[in-house]
Amino acid sequence: MAIKMKKDTLARIGFTLPFLIPLLLFWIVPLFLAFGISFTDWDYISANIGFVGLDNYKDIFTDSDFLKALFNTFYFAVGTIPPTLLISFGLALLFENQFRGSKLFRSVIFSPWITPTVAVSMVWSWIYEPERGFANHLLGFFGIAPLSWLQDSTTAMLSVIIFTIWKSLGWTFLFYIGALAAVPKSTYEAAEIDGASRSRKLLHITIPLISPTTFFLFVVNLIQSIQVYDQIQIMTQGGPGGSTTTLLYMYYDKSFQNFKMGPANSIAMIILAIIVVLSLISNRISSRFVHYE
Amino acid sequence: MKRVKVLTKYIFLAGISIVFLFPFAWMFLGAFKSNNEIWQTPYKLLPTHINLSEFIENLKAIKLYGYLLNSFIVGIAGTALILIVSSMFAYGVVFLNNRNMDRIFVIVIVTYMLPGAVTYVPSYVILAHMGLLNTLSGLVFSNLANVFAVFYFRQAFKKTSMDFVEAAKIDGANHRLILRHVILPLNKSAFSSVGLLTFIQLYNSYMWPSIMLTSQDKYLISQGLRQFFIQEGAYGMNWAQVMLASTITTLPILVILFAAQKWLMSAISQDSGIKF
Repeated sequence: MAIKMKKDTLARIGFTLPFLIPLLLFWIVPLFLAFGISFTDWDYISANIGFVGLDNYKDIFTDSDFLKALFNTFYFAVGTIPPTLLISFGLALLFENQFRGSKLFRSVIFSPWITPTVAVSMVWSWIYEPERGFANHLLGFFGIAPLSWLQDSTTAMLSVIIFTIWKSLGWTFLFYIGALAAVPKSTYEAAEIDGASRSRKLLHITIPLISPTTFFLFVVNLIQSIQVYDQIQIMTQGGPGGSTTTLLYMYYDKSFQNFKMGPANSIAMIILAIIVVLSLISNRISSRFVHYE
Repeated sequence: MKRVKVLTKYIFLAGISIVFLFPFAWMFLGAFKSNNEIWQTPYKLLPTHINLSEFIENLKAIKLYGYLLNSFIVGIAGTALILIVSSMFAYGVVFLNNRNMDRIFVIVIVTYMLPGAVTYVPSYVILAHMGLLNTLSGLVFSNLANVFAVFYFRQAFKKTSMDFVEAAKIDGANHRLILRHVILPLNKSAFSSVGLLTFIQLYNSYMWPSIMLTSQDKYLISQGLRQFFIQEGAYGMNWAQVMLASTITTLPILVILFAAQKWLMSAISQDSGIKF
């Protein structure tokens, strides 16, 4: 028995280390290092690193560019998430029951999600192109004056938001299909006997029963939104006039473009704090208000 | 009445499909247009005449093939290693469970919520110290701890009866053999789902590779495409070539989507089984 115990312990070590070593090296240790760097004036090149206390944080919270990036990130999240959830849910309702071609339609709606963001961002850059782009052609067709889309600071973020809804909706949509399929049919049957209409069933059965999924999707989408980068880098590089500079883009710009590692990592810690706080709040709310079976 | 309803649904779905597919169609059509056509008035949706020699010239001009190869190397090697490493870890958590394993798993759950990007500066420094900066193996290594894969395998393994494991133990099999010959065959669909999603994730990745791969011959496809966009594409003057390059970048993923629809869809919808 003792030999068996020892064998299992060895197996435990052998089976977990190949995962734990990279987890430690590229997740856990870097997290603590990033926290440490955020209190320094390190510039990546020079050997002496000065401890500056909370200066980086103080500077950042008085930096109007940072506050703007914070605002832009929330603008992006608020602009992206509610439409994504609503449209996905609406579309998923059409897929409650299987029908001829349902699998194909499902794949079509899902397809933007798995394609490389960089490639499709370029396609959309052309669609948004003011002179020869399709977007203005379409507006012209309806008699609407052309827009400058990505090249105008008032519409650039909106353009990125429209693209992101198209790009990332498929995942949320598939999740909703799964959630709708899990609602027990008997609940609907009972309501039908009581003479409930379709809209009443939707309002009083479906929406409350899938609220845990909505919450989960809200949180995951929010965490994703706070980390938006790829499409910004391709479509606008944070411009024009900083109108699409999000927190992560600013982090990249400060760290790997300008080597201001201290301020960059304090931004990283703020991104982290936002995500942790949001997850905790949503956990709280979900345990109190969201309907679980 | 019912038929009208069904018909309306199909018409609506067809409209939705056009919205979702249009950018892809625009990309394909763009690849066949000539630059003259693109800048011509009146506006043309379809390419009027397909100039095959210009198309072949463009195919030669976009030098994306080395980047494509890099992406496939990272995608295939990374996926294989992630499957091995994360299935082993999940096996440990499920079948070799004890209090310490539970503790370790809590740490893994916490890292799942972590935004990966906040660790990029220190990860860069660590890779540099290991001499793995600007190498494809460094990229694979730094992507090895895939928490999503562990979650997925854990969920699948928990549904596998412990009896199979016990029976194999009595027959004298060690844990490596049990994982390879009992757990793997019983969870084929989990392995293919995680494999597909991991490959796509690696193939599509952009931010981290563009930070840690600095010489052009190491670039992955998205990075290479961006490089091409800036240099040859002249920031979008040469749309025909840029669209052709985007098509080549996207095509492998679209092929995977339609060839492996079933696996992919079940992979995502089974996702909902993951609870924190």
